[in-house]
Amino acid sequence: MTSSASTIGSYAIAATGWDLPPEVSRRTRVLRFVRRNFIGVIASIIVATFVFLGVFGPSVAPSDPRDIDTTQQLEAPSLEHPFGTNKLGQDVLSRIIAGARVTFLIGLMAVTIGFGTGAALGIVSGYFGRWIDYLIQRSGEAWAAFPQLILYLAFIAAFGPGLKSIAIVIAISAAFGGSRVLRSMALIIRHTDYVEAARSLGATELRLLLRHVVPNVMPLVIVGASGVFAVSVLAEAALSYLGLGVAPGTPSWGMDISGESQTFARSGHWWLVAFPGIVISLVVLGFNLMGDMLRDVLDPRLRGSR
Amino acid sequence: MRRYALRRLSFLPLIMVVVSIITFVLLRVLPGDPAAIMAGQNARPEDIQAIRDELGLERPIAVQYLDWMADVARGDFGRTYWSGKTVRDEVIRRFPASAEIVFLSLVVSVSVGVTFGIASAVYRNSPLDYFVRLFAVLGQSIPEFFLLVLLIIVPSILWNYSPPIGGYVALWDDPVRHIRLLGPPALILGFGGAAGMMRLVRTTMLEVLRSDYVRTAYAKGLRKRTVILTHAFRNTLTPLVTVVGSAFLAIFGGSVIAERIMNIDGTVNFLLVSIMQRDFPVVQFLVIYTATIVVLANLVVDLSYAWLDPRVKYR
Repeated sequence: MTSSASTIGSYAIAATGWDLPPEVSRRTRVLRFVRRNFIGVIASIIVATFVFLGVFGPSVAPSDPRDIDTTQQLEAPSLEHPFGTNKLGQDVLSRIIAGARVTFLIGLMAVTIGFGTGAALGIVSGYFGRWIDYLIQRSGEAWAAFPQLILYLAFIAAFGPGLKSIAIVIAISAAFGGSRVLRSMALIIRHTDYVEAARSLGATELRLLLRHVVPNVMPLVIVGASGVFAVSVLAEAALSYLGLGVAPGTPSWGMDISGESQTFARSGHWWLVAFPGIVISLVVLGFNLMGDMLRDVLDPRLRGSR
Repeated sequence: MRRYALRRLSFLPLIMVVVSIITFVLLRVLPGDPAAIMAGQNARPEDIQAIRDELGLERPIAVQYLDWMADVARGDFGRTYWSGKTVRDEVIRRFPASAEIVFLSLVVSVSVGVTFGIASAVYRNSPLDYFVRLFAVLGQSIPEFFLLVLLIIVPSILWNYSPPIGGYVALWDDPVRHIRLLGPPALILGFGGAAGMMRLVRTTMLEVLRSDYVRTAYAKGLRKRTVILTHAFRNTLTPLVTVVGSAFLAIFGGSVIAERIMNIDGTVNFLLVSIMQRDFPVVQFLVIYTATIVVLANLVVDLSYAWLDPRVKYR
């Protein structure tokens, strides 16, 4: 009897089609993931390299990015200087590696201070609605209407030019960026059955917000953060290019393209402009693609739209 | 809907007043004295003081502000500190170049973005689709100023040709130079905007093409062309408008870079220069002008939702 019962049991399992998947080694699984998310993996490598250089940049650069060598001015790319040298004889590759730090710090501040605040405001605004929503959204509009260039110059004047001012301005301008998207998402989640259910069980508003709403908008927050990082890299490069960025002499990708480099590039010294420009594009590309991959992995509902 | 529009419009003056007060106070409280800049390096303190008195900068800020507001209410935006001409004339003179760059860029980005977005969704996974996706992601990653710099450098290295830089010539004065001057920056800003639009049109279009009413339209024997253009595309319009709105603002911001690099004498370049020179009346006017454009653009976007999609209601 017992044997027949177990046979029936195993038939039942077979009938549901719930066969356990065949054992797959960790290595195979990793390889499969890499093959399916090829672009995402490349993006992650770009981002990881960038973060590494952002943290350790100046200490891993092959030579001192500020070292002036008048015997090696404007040399074309060679084995010794893969990206050539600039007018002061500084190694362009070393300047790019060291310049990652400025870009990294500014992106980090934009995401944590700026986007973090904006995300919180958006969620609160969508979840609570009413006058809170009204207040936050109208302030956001007034904020967006204020030209950021003016704001930037105000900070420069107050704190002096440099990393701090530019980071604060880019962070502040990122603040309301994510708030509208997250607001609409929180607005939808507020009315879902599981939030209603939790509320009817007597959950406090704070608990609903932190345990039910926030985890469900998290994918959007992470994807948004990746996008904000990309935009802040572009913003920093553009501001530095315009000469509104870090102090002259500091290795910075945007600034190294501007001014004299441009003049020299026109007379054939293309490497002065080409390499920093390509590196900026690559880093932004890395964050954009990583955002896409994260969206696919984190939120299955958005899958298949690519 | 009209009530909604009116209520939103009624906020405009309030936003203008707040923005103008902030600008007005910031300009005067923060370091950087227009009188010192105008007097030059070796000016004596008395000279600077004389200029400050002449410009009326020694009065209390509140008095200066109310005085300025009274003039603005009469349509008088004052004279620039540097040229002494009226701010209105100086801005109007520079307006066509800036407006044209923004307008052309927007036309380029909408036409390119929408056409290729639809094509890419309809011919999914075709070489065209891959090209569009590559273009879109690159367009969102390569900084516009880098492209503009390449635009100046590459032809001059390869063919010893440099595109015209600087100033502004009206279309009817010298059409060829006009297009050679404004065309390239407009194209580059336009393609930058098109990148985001392509992605959005493609994504929405793919979703719509999977929906039941599209299948019904095919089932009742409509031509593919009709289904795609009238049934499917219409439903991508609402999200599209949002993107066109933000593309407009992005292009408007990007025109600072374009005018700067190509050295075009336009309004945004004027704003930048005036900020550096602390030309208060110009900055005050242009900040309000910019803020008005931003607020109106957002309003137009919000109103067009209801116009495009009858299901949307405003309260």
